[in-house]
Amino acid sequence: MIKKIKISKSEKIILIFIIILGVFTFTSLIILKNKCLFVKNYNPNDIKFDNPENIAILNAECGNVIIELYPDISPNAVKRFKKLIKLGAYNDAAFHRVIENKIIQAGDLEFGKRENLNYGKVGSGKSGLGTIKSELDKKFKYNKGSVGFTRTFELDTEDSQFFIILQKEPLFEGEYTPVGKVLYGLEILKTIKFVPKFHIVPRPDFINSFKMLN
Amino acid sequence: MILFRAILFIFIFITPLKADSIYNLIKIPNLEVYKIDTKNGLRYLYATKPFRLGINVTMNINCYNSDKKILDEKYKVIKKNLDRYSLNFLKKINLKYIVLCENLSIAEINTAGIPNNKTRTLILDIKFNENHFERAIHHELFHIINDNYKELFLENLWKNLNKKNFAYSKCSTCNDNWNLELLNNKSGFFTEYAKSTASEDMAEVFSHLIFYKNKVHSNDPIIEKKILIIKKNVLKIDNTFEF
Repeated sequence: MIKKIKISKSEKIILIFIIILGVFTFTSLIILKNKCLFVKNYNPNDIKFDNPENIAILNAECGNVIIELYPDISPNAVKRFKKLIKLGAYNDAAFHRVIENKIIQAGDLEFGKRENLNYGKVGSGKSGLGTIKSELDKKFKYNKGSVGFTRTFELDTEDSQFFIILQKEPLFEGEYTPVGKVLYGLEILKTIKFVPKFHIVPRPDFINSFKMLN
Repeated sequence: MILFRAILFIFIFITPLKADSIYNLIKIPNLEVYKIDTKNGLRYLYATKPFRLGINVTMNINCYNSDKKILDEKYKVIKKNLDRYSLNFLKKINLKYIVLCENLSIAEINTAGIPNNKTRTLILDIKFNENHFERAIHHELFHIINDNYKELFLENLWKNLNKKNFAYSKCSTCNDNWNLELLNNKSGFFTEYAKSTASEDMAEVFSHLIFYKNKVHSNDPIIEKKILIIKKNVLKIDNTFEF
């Protein structure tokens, strides 16, 4: 006759611990790995805008970033930005330079597209439309969510690359041509891939689409 | 080839990230903002640690951080002098950033300042010779003007203003005599240092004009001509400029 062995108290504790550990592991793998899970996605059609003709929607992995463009501040830069958006030029462009909680840069149409990402040259590419003049005369406060055109070391070299800042940057004022400001979706930008201490993001996130509202 | 690519790839990705905004703008490390909301748009930055910079690959420019007390004192002096230049004028001459540090040297030779018109920056040694410190600020600022308007300040024409038997040194540091004291010998130069190069001579004329305002009197016909040329050319850049 086989005698039934009763589970001891310590064995019960170990069993419970293993089950809890399993649940945690499962949660981490399934839930926490999904960086978009707790990020609110804004539907532009549910929002009423004062200037709908100047609203641009950048769609990233976790949802929409809604940007208001400021043609009164930088008419030429906004004209260029709208043109590229309407051409669909920014679709599949990499967020190639991302510094945590500081800045997100994208829009290299030559070396930063999904199909031909060139790590050696990304950030130096051109749109083919030529450069435009810096527009720095009107006052513009670079606060969290401000969007501007990048340029080379010299002024008047703005082309297609743009940045969005995730913190106040007073030094940018009078230095970089402003384009607009993020109205909704800053939290989506915070989910964009960055790698600490890396200059260029390896295997970066991409812009899914960039469209004008109207 | 594969090894080369692998090394290149690693190099690209391990390039140290210089995330700070100041570095991205003017490519000088270890700086922080001292004051940026000034009336004439100048942005004053200071060194928090020593820094080295390079001209063509060689890192031959050195400068060191200062005590807060010295920095505060010298900032007031520098600002007072640079406040003479309007926002409009500074835009025209391409000057925006003033870097404050001490014991500034280039190739181990101490200097009052290093201008860089491409980065719109003037690095100033706040511990430069006390007797000539304020005037030296204007001297260095002139180099920014000169670098931006080479076509106005033609060195060959300037050289012809001097006595026939005079020749400048080959460079500003090729001469051992860097005396900045005012000369009174009708030699055609404000200081011994002015004899080093044409551009240093121009900078000496400009700095004397600005610092001493209308108190600059000279019975020296060569200096009088030089003053007229500097005034005329600066007014071509900005006709509202007041000497």
